[in-house]
Amino acid sequence: MWEFYARSFNASTIFMVAALGELIGQRAGVMNVGVEGAMLFGATIGFIVAKTTGSYLLGFLAAIAVGAAIGALHGFFSITLGGDQVVNGMGIWILGFGLTAYIGYPYTGPLGLERIPSVAGISPFFFLGIVLIAVAWFVLFKTNVGLKLRSVGENPSVAEVSGVNVVRTRYLSVITSGMFMGLAGGIYALDYNPVWNYNFLMGWGFVALALVFFSMWNPFILLGGSVLFGALWQLSLNPELLFEDTVSRYIWRTVPFVVTIGALALMSTQWFSSRWGAAKPEALGMPYEKD
Amino acid sequence: MKLGRYQIKLEKKSGFTGWQAAVISIVAILFALFLVGFIFLQAGVDPALGYQEIFSYAFLNPFGLPLTLNRAVFLLFCSFAFIVPIRAGLWNIGMAGQAYAGALGAFAVALALGAKGSQTPSLPGGALVGLMILGAMLGGMAVGAIPGILKGKFNTNEIVTTMMINFIMFWLVAYMIKEGGPFMGSGGEGEGFKLTESVRPPLFKDTPFTLWVSLALAALLYILFARTKIGYQIRAFGSSPAAARYAGISPVKISLLVFVAGGLLAGLAGYHYFAAVPGLYKIPKNYGDFGDLAFYGIICGLISQGNPLASIPLALLFGGLTNGGRFVQGKLQLGFGIDYALLGVVMIILVAFQFFFRYRIILKKAEKEN
Amino acid sequence: MTDIKHGDIVLAAKGITKRYPGLVANDRIDFEIKAGEIHAILGENGAGKTTLMSILFGLVQPDEGEIYAFGKKVHFRSPLDAIDLGVGMVHQTRKLIPAHTVLENILLGHPKAGTILDMKRAGEEVAQLCKHYNYPLDLNAKVWHLAEGEKQMVEIFKALYRGAKVLIMDEPTSALAPPETEKLLESIQVMTRDELAIVPFITHKLPIVLAVSHRVTILRRGQVVARLDTKQSTEQSLAREMVGRDVIFRLERGKAARGRSILRVENLSAFDDKGAQALTDVSFDVHEGEIFGIAGVSGNGQQALAEVLAGLRKAKSGRVLFDDAEISHLTSLQRWQKGIGYIPAEQRTVGSIGNFSLVENMLMNYHFDDAFSKWGFLNEKKARQLTEALIAEYGVATPSPDVKARGLSGGNLQKLILARVFSRKPRLIIVNLPTQGLDVGATEFVQNKLLEARKSGAGILLISEDLDEILALSDRIAPIYEGKFMDVIPAESAVRETIGALMAGLEKKAAA
Repeated sequence: MWEFYARSFNASTIFMVAALGELIGQRAGVMNVGVEGAMLFGATIGFIVAKTTGSYLLGFLAAIAVGAAIGALHGFFSITLGGDQVVNGMGIWILGFGLTAYIGYPYTGPLGLERIPSVAGISPFFFLGIVLIAVAWFVLFKTNVGLKLRSVGENPSVAEVSGVNVVRTRYLSVITSGMFMGLAGGIYALDYNPVWNYNFLMGWGFVALALVFFSMWNPFILLGGSVLFGALWQLSLNPELLFEDTVSRYIWRTVPFVVTIGALALMSTQWFSSRWGAAKPEALGMPYEKD
Repeated sequence: MKLGRYQIKLEKKSGFTGWQAAVISIVAILFALFLVGFIFLQAGVDPALGYQEIFSYAFLNPFGLPLTLNRAVFLLFCSFAFIVPIRAGLWNIGMAGQAYAGALGAFAVALALGAKGSQTPSLPGGALVGLMILGAMLGGMAVGAIPGILKGKFNTNEIVTTMMINFIMFWLVAYMIKEGGPFMGSGGEGEGFKLTESVRPPLFKDTPFTLWVSLALAALLYILFARTKIGYQIRAFGSSPAAARYAGISPVKISLLVFVAGGLLAGLAGYHYFAAVPGLYKIPKNYGDFGDLAFYGIICGLISQGNPLASIPLALLFGGLTNGGRFVQGKLQLGFGIDYALLGVVMIILVAFQFFFRYRIILKKAEKEN
Repeated sequence: MTDIKHGDIVLAAKGITKRYPGLVANDRIDFEIKAGEIHAILGENGAGKTTLMSILFGLVQPDEGEIYAFGKKVHFRSPLDAIDLGVGMVHQTRKLIPAHTVLENILLGHPKAGTILDMKRAGEEVAQLCKHYNYPLDLNAKVWHLAEGEKQMVEIFKALYRGAKVLIMDEPTSALAPPETEKLLESIQVMTRDELAIVPFITHKLPIVLAVSHRVTILRRGQVVARLDTKQSTEQSLAREMVGRDVIFRLERGKAARGRSILRVENLSAFDDKGAQALTDVSFDVHEGEIFGIAGVSGNGQQALAEVLAGLRKAKSGRVLFDDAEISHLTSLQRWQKGIGYIPAEQRTVGSIGNFSLVENMLMNYHFDDAFSKWGFLNEKKARQLTEALIAEYGVATPSPDVKARGLSGGNLQKLILARVFSRKPRLIIVNLPTQGLDVGATEFVQNKLLEARKSGAGILLISEDLDEILALSDRIAPIYEGKFMDVIPAESAVRETIGALMAGLEKKAAA
């Protein structure tokens, strides 16, 4: 039983960190539907670096760095070139999906390093994730840079005439956002499941994207959602930890996705939005052009 | 921006002509191929030789060409499945799941009517093929209806829902064909059962009849968007949902319609590859590869700017590139996944080139500083 | 910043010229403002006010000319430079973030906000400011909860908290109900006593100019045509300078036979997009050959009312009857087919499709018409003929019916929309803010078309913010405030001041 909880927390860490990254970007008005792609980059590059150097530290740094680069690329397309953010995010996802399949293939198989020590089965990254959530909340709501970030997500032209550099603020947020996604990928490939396989995320990133919508753009609700989905995901992977003699494991694998659709549908109903208000950043998804 | 004595100015385009779009698209594809050339170089292969091998296998080789065509037809159906919703401004990235659903629908019909393995079915082959196609369409439509209803009724993000359904269908196929699932083949290798001879549709010149179906559909869809009332309503909704609603166009109807149509078209893709392509006639173990291939449908749909006729050459090109890519991997001892790398690079270059659809770059002599 | 004495020139512009392709927006404009002075800039739409304002605030750089702040020549590269030098701006379309609190809005971009926001100290300082101007505000309220006048004061306080010595105000009273205007003018007068310089930019509402300002500069076609002392001018003289000829503000309403009741609304209530109640228990009827005017400041439920009647928004409760038959549950398509026409306020986003050609835009009201399609195929030839005919009839200036609607000017687009809706010969027309943002000529055209439709027997529900328009066109007038009708007044007994007060929620009478 404890094993199940511990693994659930570990799974939730990945959702938490990736979705937190997406939340930071979206709060500044930039949506990246390619979370999965950025995570695949972080996971694959982190895995390769760790495997070739034998250093976890370098692996994680590489994962974060490649995440930042992907974030910057998305920023370049979405902020500088001002294209459709959905198209750009799709590009990020398919680039990640396609290129990492090729780059990582020679490294298929286990990492072959000693596992990162855990506390009663719970990975240290889970605690790091909670700290990151708290820090992100503080920065977003209590600091000047957070106020600027939220403002460019709500109404960039207002921010601009108030003296905020919209472009710089949005870049800052998408790069930070990418770093979180890269880190989430790194945690997956170096700690949670250190065996590389092509396209081995199989939907983590898309569920993380949905979690941001569930969170109503609030880091603490996001924390709760991540823990719930972590448990659900873990249950779908190892239902035998809780239930004996259950239906096919393949049917279990569909459960998190079915629940995601159900929850997303519920949240988009009039009934829900009129009760819980629309917390969505007003300028989400809209390119900003001066004049 | 200044560059020497010249000043570079960007000007917003209000629109672009068909040939401008074609030129930009061709340049984008060439540039992507150029970048992938570096992957060849890095693997120690001359890119010119690599591309020569790819193209000659894909389009000139008697073994390669039919494989290219099979892939192209699959891609074409997937492109249509992407195009119909995108004309309404909606993103269908669930072609993989819808194609799986189509395959399951077709094979469910086959199983129910005894067209499995060496059995003799109760109906004549032609009728069974028709029913299987119907099953494939219904399977795709059923799966497509889900994001359609959710989008229309509640405005639920269709990117997330269609992607979720991809994963659901992926695992559902695994359940059906593996570990004692209802569609498992007799060999027990974790793949689906094989169709009986009588329901394997005849070939015309080594190509399945679905090739002609896909070409006819391209023309039909083109006319649908250009000339018909429903095509107008879809385009109006895609250009401005609020204005379309004002004009009396129901968002629920349009969302449901385009996603059901998209599902149907992707369902046909599933039927085509698993039940009509020679040599297969089953849901194979590596069915996931075909799902991955389906994402090229997004690329064809985006490059063609939603034009079904323009996606024909694109489907052929990418069908050939992926097919030839697989071939040179073995022949030139490249790493696995050159076709995946190509997918990624083409997509991102395409995204970058979107810029040229919106702006024109004007170069003129710099005026004096004021 | 040096100390400022009363009468010092705080901001001056000399020879400001700005050209756009095919247009000189500002032609050698000179302008100055002194501390403690209110210097209004008056001009019609298109006279160059917006350009001048943008230049003074650093949003646009002039091609020629100089700007002096406190006697020193300055160069505004962006609004930030202007703000740093003590020039503040109060925008017509509020530059505030509705989802943020008042205090967050005031602090946004403030150089002394600190890394970690010191909300307590800033709150105390801003509260001090509110107290000084006798305008209490809840600093922790979200801005979208505020009334229009309060939002404007937040903008003013934001500028003052940043140290503004010059306040540029774009159409300061345009969105305010009369009592809010009074309150604003009081605050402005306190500010001039503190040696602030105030530059209101004004299109209409000439009495306000006369009431508060010391000097007036009038622009026409990009040039300064007059500089007057307010004391020596009259409403008529200002209007003459502004338009360039004597103007008579009058429309020939004429008589129309009032027919039977065509629209009946009973106890209608509805929510807005955010789920808040926008419309409460509204009942009225509209007759054939009648213009029923709803007067109110935007945001008082008119939008929800128009959308419910057009079938674009669900009613919470109540009934709508058209021709004595209930239509509450009909879709917008069914309402079009029954002969209800809707001209929305949002020309660009709802009333037209920017990247569709004019022919395709015409089809927005004809795609469902059996005369325009056969076997599911649209009759493009017929649609083109109709479009060409209507373009000619309504004088829409366009090179061809194949251009995209995006390229049309506001006035031409509104003509096209009007042509499209009127050509269906609707028996009931719902029209929301029909002349918003149009120039004098287009406004006159649109208003005359409404009167023509009335004459031919259509019932018209006119929603407008412009009290002059309402008074000139309507047969009956219903002032609306916070989703409720304050009264229904026949045109003969309508008194401007009374309606103004009712629009602001004063003199609440029991519904008759």
